[in-house]
Amino acid sequence: MDNELTALGIIFTEFYYWLTVVLMFFIHVGFCMYEVGASRHKNHMHTLMKNTMLIPLVTITFFFFGWWIYFAFPNGPGILGGLVEAPHAVAWSEVMGAHMGGADDLENGWARINGVFWAAFLLFSWTAASIVSGSVIERIKSSGFWILAVSIGSVWWIIDAAWGWHAEGWMVQLLGYHDAYASGVIHAIAGGFALGILVVLGPRIGKFAPDGTPRNINPRNPWLVTIGLFLIYTGFWGFYVACNVPMWDIQAGDEVFYSATNIYLAPTTLSAITFNFLMSLSGGLLMGYMISKGDAFWTYSSGLAGIIAASAGNDLYHPIQSMIIAALGVVFMYKLHYIVERKFKVDDAVGAVAVHGYAGFFGVVVAGFVLWGYPSSPTEGYAAINPLGQLVGAIIMFGVLGFLPGWITAKILNGFGLLRIPRQIELMGLDTAAVRDIAAEEQAIIDAEGDAAAKV
Amino acid sequence: MATVESWGGTIADIGPVYPMVGTEGLLVIIGVVAWIVWHVVQARRENREYEDQVRKYGGRESLKRLISEEDPKNP
Repeated sequence: MDNELTALGIIFTEFYYWLTVVLMFFIHVGFCMYEVGASRHKNHMHTLMKNTMLIPLVTITFFFFGWWIYFAFPNGPGILGGLVEAPHAVAWSEVMGAHMGGADDLENGWARINGVFWAAFLLFSWTAASIVSGSVIERIKSSGFWILAVSIGSVWWIIDAAWGWHAEGWMVQLLGYHDAYASGVIHAIAGGFALGILVVLGPRIGKFAPDGTPRNINPRNPWLVTIGLFLIYTGFWGFYVACNVPMWDIQAGDEVFYSATNIYLAPTTLSAITFNFLMSLSGGLLMGYMISKGDAFWTYSSGLAGIIAASAGNDLYHPIQSMIIAALGVVFMYKLHYIVERKFKVDDAVGAVAVHGYAGFFGVVVAGFVLWGYPSSPTEGYAAINPLGQLVGAIIMFGVLGFLPGWITAKILNGFGLLRIPRQIELMGLDTAAVRDIAAEEQAIIDAEGDAAAKV
Repeated sequence: MATVESWGGTIADIGPVYPMVGTEGLLVIIGVVAWIVWHVVQARRENREYEDQVRKYGGRESLKRLISEEDPKNP
C-alpha cells in the first residue's frame, strides 16, 4: 500500500468482492420469499424462521472451520497429497479480523482481502443450505434442518469447492474438471443433498393419494414466489461476479497482461459472462414457458435452471450455445422431476432438486462435450476438459458429496427423533398452536379490560 | 487493553487492530461451545414445544376443530 497503483488494485479488489456480497444477499431474501410463498398459511412463520436462522449458523461455522477447509483440502487429502497449510484461514488467525496488513508473517494481501473473500464464499454457503431448505418445508424439524444446513453449508460444499473449484484442486488437475460458475459445485451438490434428505424425510401428508397419485400442493402466494425468484435472479449477478478474480496477471513469462479470470485463474471477461448469463436465463425462460404451458412457477424456476445448466461453461460458451444448453437443461430437469416424483414418491416441495440438482448435473456433463480439449487451467500438466472427467465430476458433486452425506445425516437425525415433526403438528400446521395461544392472550386482555372500556 | 494507542506512527507496521490480541484461540473455543450449546438447547425446546402442542390440541376432535376454525378452505 506504499504507492497509489498498488493501493488502487488492492482496494478495488476488496470493494469488488464486498459488492458481490451485497448483491448475493438478495439471493437469500429471494429464497425466503419464495419458500414462504410456496408454503401453506399454517406454516408461514416456521418456514421463514427455518430459512432465516441458517444465516447465523452457517456464518459462524464457516468462520470456525469452513473457510479453512477450502484451503486445506485441494489434495483430497489423500489423493494428491496431505492437508495444505492455510494459516490465514484458521479461525484463530490474526488476519481473520481487523488487520492493517503490517507486522505479520503472513502475506499482506490476505490481511486486506480475507474478510471480503471469506464473505463471498460464505454467501455461496448460505445458498447451498437455502436450496435444501425449500425442498423440505412443512414437515422437517427446525433443529434437524439447521444441523443439515451447517453440514452442507460449512462442510460438504466447501470440500467440493476445494476439489473442483480451486486453481489447484485435485479434480481440476486429474479429471480436467471445469465448472466456472458452479453448476455442480453449488447446485448439483445441494440438489443431491436435498434428495438424500427427502428420501428419509418422506412426503408431506396428503401429497400422494392412497393409490400413489401425486396431488398438487400449489404455492399459496404465487406473487411472493415470483418476486422471490426475481430477487434470486438479481442476486445471481453477484454470484457470477464473485466467481471471478477481478484483476490478475495472466501472461506467462516476463510480460504482463492483467485481466479478469475465472476461479481457475484462466482468463475471462465480465462481458463474456454477462452475455451468457442473460442468454442462458432467456433460453431457460423460453423453454420453461413452453414446456410448462405458461405455468408461472415453472417458468420462473426454468429461468434459474437455464442459468444453472449453462453455468459450468459460461466463461467460454458462445451466447447462443449458452441459450441452447439452458433450454435443453430445462427439458431434462422438468421431465426428470415428474418421473422421480411419480416413480419414487419424492415430495420436492419447491422443485429444488430439479432446478438445482438435475440442471446442475446436466450442466457439468454437457460442458465436457462442448468444451472438450480446452485447458482446465493455465497451469501446465493439468488434464484438459473432457466428457469422462466431467461425468465423473458430476457424479462426485451430486452423488458422493451431495446425496450420500444428505441421506446419512438425515438417517442419523431421524434415529435421534430430530428429523420429522409429529403428525398432529403437521396436520394442524406449525404456526397454528402459536396463533391460538396469541389469540387466547388477546382474549384474556379483552375479558379483563372490556368492561372498563364499555363504561368509557 | 488497547492494541493501538496512536495512529501517528508508521501505519505499515500495524497488524491486528482488535483488542486483546493473543486471545484468538480462547475466543474460538468460546464460540464453538456457544454454537453447540445453542443447537442442544434449541432442539430440546423445540421437542418440548411440540409435545405441549400435541397434548393441548392433538386429539382427533380438537384437531378437526382447530383446522376448520383456522381456514376451512385453505388450511
